[in-house]
Amino acid sequence: MFNSPKTPSRHRSRSETKTPLTPSLTAAMNGVSLASSPVKRSRAKSSSKSSTTTPFNATNPFIAPASSRSRPTSPVKRTSGGIPVSDSFRSQAGGGVIRKGGVESRLDVVTNDYVPPPKAEIKRSKSTPAVNRAGLDQRDRFITQRETTDIAAVSTTLEQLSLNPQAASPGHTARLAAATGVPLNRRILGYHEQPPSASSSDTTLAQQREFARPLYAQRPGAIATSTGATTNKTRKIPTQPERVLDAPGMVDDFYLNLLSWSCQNAVAVALEASTYIWKADTGAVVQLGEAPEGSYVSSVDFSNDGAFLGVGNGNGEVELWDVESGQKLRTMSGHQGQIATLSWHEHILSSGCGDGSIWHHDVRMPRHKVMELLGHTGEVCGLKWRSDGELLASGGNDNVVNIWDGRLGDVGEGARGSAKWTKRNHTAAVKAVAWCPWQLSLLASGGGTNDATINVWNSTTGARLHTLRTPSQITSIQWSPHRKELLTTHGYPTNSIMLHAYPSMERVAEIRDAHDSRVLFSCLSPAGDVVCTGAGDENLKFWRVWDVPTETSGKKKKAASVDDVGGGRLNSTKEGILSIR
Amino acid sequence: MASKQANRQAITLKGSTTLVTEFFKYAVNTILFQREVYPSDDFHMVKKYGQTVLVTQDLALENYLNRILKQVQKWLLTGSVTQLVLAIISKDGRIPLERWVFDIKLVEPPADSSEPQVPKPEAEIQSEIRAILKQIISMVTYLPVIHEPTVFNILAYTSDSADVPAGEWVDTDPLAIEASKSQQVKMRSFSTDVHRIEAMVAYRYEE
Repeated sequence: MFNSPKTPSRHRSRSETKTPLTPSLTAAMNGVSLASSPVKRSRAKSSSKSSTTTPFNATNPFIAPASSRSRPTSPVKRTSGGIPVSDSFRSQAGGGVIRKGGVESRLDVVTNDYVPPPKAEIKRSKSTPAVNRAGLDQRDRFITQRETTDIAAVSTTLEQLSLNPQAASPGHTARLAAATGVPLNRRILGYHEQPPSASSSDTTLAQQREFARPLYAQRPGAIATSTGATTNKTRKIPTQPERVLDAPGMVDDFYLNLLSWSCQNAVAVALEASTYIWKADTGAVVQLGEAPEGSYVSSVDFSNDGAFLGVGNGNGEVELWDVESGQKLRTMSGHQGQIATLSWHEHILSSGCGDGSIWHHDVRMPRHKVMELLGHTGEVCGLKWRSDGELLASGGNDNVVNIWDGRLGDVGEGARGSAKWTKRNHTAAVKAVAWCPWQLSLLASGGGTNDATINVWNSTTGARLHTLRTPSQITSIQWSPHRKELLTTHGYPTNSIMLHAYPSMERVAEIRDAHDSRVLFSCLSPAGDVVCTGAGDENLKFWRVWDVPTETSGKKKKAASVDDVGGGRLNSTKEGILSIR
Repeated sequence: MASKQANRQAITLKGSTTLVTEFFKYAVNTILFQREVYPSDDFHMVKKYGQTVLVTQDLALENYLNRILKQVQKWLLTGSVTQLVLAIISKDGRIPLERWVFDIKLVEPPADSSEPQVPKPEAEIQSEIRAILKQIISMVTYLPVIHEPTVFNILAYTSDSADVPAGEWVDTDPLAIEASKSQQVKMRSFSTDVHRIEAMVAYRYEE
């Protein structure tokens, strides 16, 4: 009756909830307290109320029939006090009466409003004629109330039947409410807006987060073995390095290329400003030279015959050293940025510069710069000549892989080369580029942190043949000369060395945490069996990943005169840990 | 004298409301950070209550919380809010995973106003608040790890007579966790001269 004209549907829905013990208890309670609502239709309520003797209700019998629809006269209205009744507040208004004094008073109202079920029924049927209603009411007179009232009304009645004994005891309801923890007089409100999604407001922040996301990456599923490595069942791949060399001061910089292994079985490694050569045959270490004051060595590369070492400096100079004598032969300057990478083909030493340019230096000529290749907008950090000198592959910090025509022809200082293919599929800096030794058209490239993808290209057609996503940044790629496999080294979070089959790209082996920090550099022994890796943890580690097939062992012996050390096999007489300097 | 007393009381209510609202701000921020509802680099460290508290610097979230807390403060002043709930819901399934419940109770002033009330020292209140915030942080150790992305929702339990800004606050689902699958941990409480805040967390726990 309180608000019946406004919210019949509400009462109906409430009255349908019959289980007082569920969270819908509140609803049920409301239904109870407002149980008169169905009755309102038949106006029987007034009479039923009249039977109860509360002061509030007492007024009803007189007022209700006459002005049942006028709100102000309703006793309920008065009790609801100053709360304006509006549609949005209807529930408030409905409950407000009761809530005023909290649970107790509400319970009072409940008891007052309710009439024991049988009584209520009788009253209803009796009172039906009292309300001057149309056809419906008249039918009611002769047929039992239950049949004529709609389902909602019936259910309310039923509810009353079941609830009233309980409601009769306020203490019980209070205990019930306390036990279920359902408050009797509460609204649960939520803010109309949903909370903003993470970093929806700040796009630059979101962008930065996207960049940094790989750094927060969880390590992919842990490897079960205690050595943190998966290896092939049919093949033994050592998960421990064969040798560890101490390399103090090795610069932990992704863009540099500080490791090279010559065909004369010498490993060149740059440690800050100094370049060292470690002879794998004898284990002897020679310091080759120092970078100019205030600069540092940013790249090293052995010439194809292993007699010369190209050294790139942070100040843009490219130096040429004679390995045998340990003398610097010449300094080729002209670059404005750091030389992050070098690659030899015969007498041409190509240098990739921080400003994105690639220069071909003819080391025999006084005017050494014979060609300039402009195709990168970011630092060139990966550079590799194909073994036949036909093509040159470069990767840059602009995420681009370029393949250049290596034929120089009659060129001079002002000559410009153009890229044969430009590949923009990587989404991070491309440092790892490697030509396949047994199928010359294949080029593998690997992207940095945000990309972590290996792409294999056909340099003849320009097609991308294979793509493999890896768990972390790719710092270098080595193809096996004897097997259809390629090896990749990785940075955070796995710091692993991975071995992939080609062309299936299946993982053959993975050595997790090969170094304590990201594995930055790698180079392959001339025999093609041992891979040397360098990392920011200042260690060089030698991994015997592949075997040299027996039929090629003769060739291997030719390559290096000492049998035991042949072709990059390390001298086992030396102790396991050596220091480069 | 009586009017002066009443005046002082009014100020205390206002001050207490500010204090409680502020506590909610930091508590909500702490929970959002600790439960990783928002990425941790959205938060920056702020000295508060004599300890470091992580507060979001995501403007949208900050404004959102401020709008909510402003209304909560109004409700606190009229005494019409009885409970605040921060529900953490799985983003995809919309399943409530955790409910951080703060019961707000009005401290009944002693019936006889003859004996002067000794106001609770601010330092004591602060140390109680600090204890709750620390407890929220320590909760992380035994709350189940949430693997899925989550969102949060703040619910206010108000009395029916509460003044509700139309359109801004709407009646909602209580986002309750099924009783059979939920565990509850009662946390510390703090009180000002006017309000008493009791904290509790309920979380979904399935074997």
